[in-house]
Amino acid sequence: MPTSVMRDRIAVFLIAGFAASGAAFAQGKPADPLAVGRQLLAEDNPGDLWVQRGERLFHEKRGPGRASLERCDFGLGAGKLDGAFARMPRYFPDTDRVQDLESRLLTCMVELQGFQREEVIRNAFSTLDRNSDMEALASYVASRSNGMKMHVTLDHPREREMYKAGEYLFHRRNGPTDFACVSCHGDDGRRIRLQDLPNMTDAAQMRAVIAGWPAYRGTQGTVRTMQHRLYDCNWQMRLPDLGFASDMSIALTTYLNYSGNGAVIQVPGVRR
Amino acid sequence: MTAAALAVPGCATYPDGETARQLGEKMVSEAYPGMPEALVKRAVQDRPQALCTKIGKASLTREEAAEVVALSRASLRYPASGKLVGDWQAGARLAYSGTGSRIRGGRVEKAKENGALCSNCHMLDPGEINAGNLGPSLAAYGTQRGGSEELAKYAYERIYNAWAFVPCSTMPRLGAGHHLTPEQIADVVAYLIDPQSPVNRRR
Repeated sequence: MPTSVMRDRIAVFLIAGFAASGAAFAQGKPADPLAVGRQLLAEDNPGDLWVQRGERLFHEKRGPGRASLERCDFGLGAGKLDGAFARMPRYFPDTDRVQDLESRLLTCMVELQGFQREEVIRNAFSTLDRNSDMEALASYVASRSNGMKMHVTLDHPREREMYKAGEYLFHRRNGPTDFACVSCHGDDGRRIRLQDLPNMTDAAQMRAVIAGWPAYRGTQGTVRTMQHRLYDCNWQMRLPDLGFASDMSIALTTYLNYSGNGAVIQVPGVRR
Repeated sequence: MTAAALAVPGCATYPDGETARQLGEKMVSEAYPGMPEALVKRAVQDRPQALCTKIGKASLTREEAAEVVALSRASLRYPASGKLVGDWQAGARLAYSGTGSRIRGGRVEKAKENGALCSNCHMLDPGEINAGNLGPSLAAYGTQRGGSEELAKYAYERIYNAWAFVPCSTMPRLGAGHHLTPEQIADVVAYLIDPQSPVNRRR
């Protein structure tokens, strides 16, 4: 990553942290002291830089195949991006799989551009010293549904399988903590320490979540996708690294996005 | 044969609960490619976890609840010393530690010991606001209940395996799941009931 970008990221994060601590002091309110900092960030969203980089990468001839992603079909036809993310995950006949945004990008980067699948997966999450093309591309493609409503349908039997498996997985107790997703996301007004937890069994709260992923995460200084959000929950639950684009991750996303249908998409969102 | 072939596609109720469970379990078995077998095993459900997996508003049957409690009671183990009340200061450190046992890149994090995770979900020392609320407040736990031997045993067993008391409680089975040792749990018990502990100090 260029040093200037790094500096910008750090500066933005420091400013946000500073603003947040001042606001928390003024309000004397223990819950969610970072809300004001997030609001400030959202008004001048650093995630827009990821959208711009994603747009450039999307149209650039890249990879061993020297091809752009303009022929990638996200479900509405090759290169048709407006509103495509709002219908994902969905069933794709060419791969015979239900795919979310990131797994579809992965398919196109491999099939059209000739990138190695394992390499794309290895680089899918950015680190402090390496940018992720996936995070930029997902930001861009998702942003082309901004202002539209999430509208996942379950018309195909495979989509229904993914949804129902996702519902099961959302409630499945496992691992050293005995948690399921619903353990922390099944009631109103809950927190882990001071971090507010959305109740994902409530349609309005679910829509608020779904409206804003991919999201710029202040604690990480980068845009993260839903694949990373699920991976991070798994980490906290003491489970192994969740496979990128695994069916489990896509099933959960199908369940979450369908539950969040009607959410007005505005991405990248801004999150802690 | 795929699950899709077993049922009539297009049916509004497809797939049923059992098919969804089978599909989900297959996905779990494939969700952790390249991970060491010992870590992948963490995601395999034991019998109580399977019984405690309920979709939506479904609840345990009386028989299932009895089985979870019986299995959980049978899991209880105690420190070799027999001492159920340890060192409250060691317990304080554990209670506020949320680290240990997490996995990144297929490796378990390096930590001297696992934290007890308590403050992620419970208020303990009322002077510390950085506490979660997924579980009830435990402030003044000892002063409200007295510091009897019976209380110590109850608190110990409740931490070792909460499901012996509340089947399928949100609380992790910290001892039975080998996240904490019996000695660590005794330290946490001391932190909850010792009159000198900040949990119980009057202010």
